[in-house]
Amino acid sequence: MNKTADAPREHAVEIRFGQVGLVQVRLHTIDPGSILDELTGRTATAPHFFERTAVCLDLSTLTKPPSVEEIRAVVEVVRRAGMLSVGLAQGGASVEALANALEMPVFTHIRAPSKPVPVVQAAPAPEPTLPALMQHQPVRSGQRVYARNRDLIVMATVAAGAEVMADGCVHIYGPLRGRVMAGVHGDTEARVFCQTFNAELVSIAGVFRVFETIPADLAGMPVQAWLAGEDLRFAKIGE
Amino acid sequence: MTEIIVVTSGKGGVGKTTTSASLACGLARRGKKVAVIDFDIGLRNLDLIMGCERRVVYDFVNVIQGECTLKQALIKDKRLETLYVLAASQTRDKDALSSEGVRRVFDDLTADGFEYIVCDSPAGIEKGAHLAMYFADRAVVVVNPEVSSVRDSDRILGLLSAKTLRAEQGNGQVKEHLLLTRYSPKRVATGEMMSVGDVKEILGLDVVGVVPESVDVLAASNAGIPVILNENSDVSRAYEDAVARLLGETVPLRFVDEPKKGFFARMFGG
Repeated sequence: MNKTADAPREHAVEIRFGQVGLVQVRLHTIDPGSILDELTGRTATAPHFFERTAVCLDLSTLTKPPSVEEIRAVVEVVRRAGMLSVGLAQGGASVEALANALEMPVFTHIRAPSKPVPVVQAAPAPEPTLPALMQHQPVRSGQRVYARNRDLIVMATVAAGAEVMADGCVHIYGPLRGRVMAGVHGDTEARVFCQTFNAELVSIAGVFRVFETIPADLAGMPVQAWLAGEDLRFAKIGE
Repeated sequence: MTEIIVVTSGKGGVGKTTTSASLACGLARRGKKVAVIDFDIGLRNLDLIMGCERRVVYDFVNVIQGECTLKQALIKDKRLETLYVLAASQTRDKDALSSEGVRRVFDDLTADGFEYIVCDSPAGIEKGAHLAMYFADRAVVVVNPEVSSVRDSDRILGLLSAKTLRAEQGNGQVKEHLLLTRYSPKRVATGEMMSVGDVKEILGLDVVGVVPESVDVLAASNAGIPVILNENSDVSRAYEDAVARLLGETVPLRFVDEPKKGFFARMFGG
């Protein structure tokens, strides 16, 4: 045994899970010649992008199950196009048999978009559509009230050391002495409105100010707070 | 009908045990059958304030763990016929209490015809304080007129509205009362101390009593006589008023203003 003194290893390897994107090649034909033409044509437009890219072969669109020899030929033309076939996309017993013969993994849970990708992606975050959460009891020191996907209306005191939060706006009709956070999931249009302003901290969409940096002349006043760009602003209501 | 009253505060040293002892005595003096229980396991004090420390044989933990009967552990007060004390254990810690055990003791006291169970909570918000308030119908939150005590009381009020059997069952709120202790009208007048109004406004609750700062409290504690029984003291009168208010009577607040000096006192600096 010739172990180094400083690093006695218990395990030879470490197994970790990670997620990577995987290029899929969906075959509309099994003819190696036309596949190669198509692939080289495509990769020529972005040569570095596809270089040694891991590729998963999707056989689901072929009319009849290919033979092991045919897939070997496809793997070869994919390699000649500069990419590396690393497995087959899930597709029933015939794919399992092919994968066994070729000693290739079968990838499950690949969700190829079956419809054309819509032009407009990433719909805006859902607007607060629920009715506002009503809080009638005082929010005491150490308590937290959070209105998910909606506005919050507090009809009583928010004590020092208490926290009120909402994905939408926060309205406080009792004295506000604690912390208030509006737009906690990033809604920069959310605002804070309160009747008697003595907050410890105000935050909108993650931009916050503590009371030391809040103008002192607002203390005890009806105040609203909103976000202008990266700047959190305060003003007396009714002026 | 048995009513469970917890005397609590969050902060230590504000007068929970003094208040528990005096409220229990006040209720018993009006003929109510009262048990006062020390929940501060490991730091037992109530028996000293009640002057029965030499008569503690069995304690609350012994009852919960089935080492004695409730009757054996209840110490009958020598001054008031209908008052009983259940002492805390000095040798165990808070983990000796269990929710099931506390409930059993309360059920037995109820079956025994007790009208009021006064629970003297330990400071803090840990297990002992939690169990003291858990079964409560009412809470007397003891507050000193200073910021840290007020903040801690606010925290306790939050727990009362969430972590009690009544809150969990949606069975109505625990009825909350504020009791200010160590109140000094003179220091309020000079702005050194928060006023009753300040505390009321911050906590949003009505006060059930204002107990003035007084040397009588320490003297009573040392003598083992609950201060409410010292008839010559303003503190006694203040606690008597608080008991009356707890029983639903309307009594004006006393001892909240600086005593007006008479003509001679003003002339001669009396």
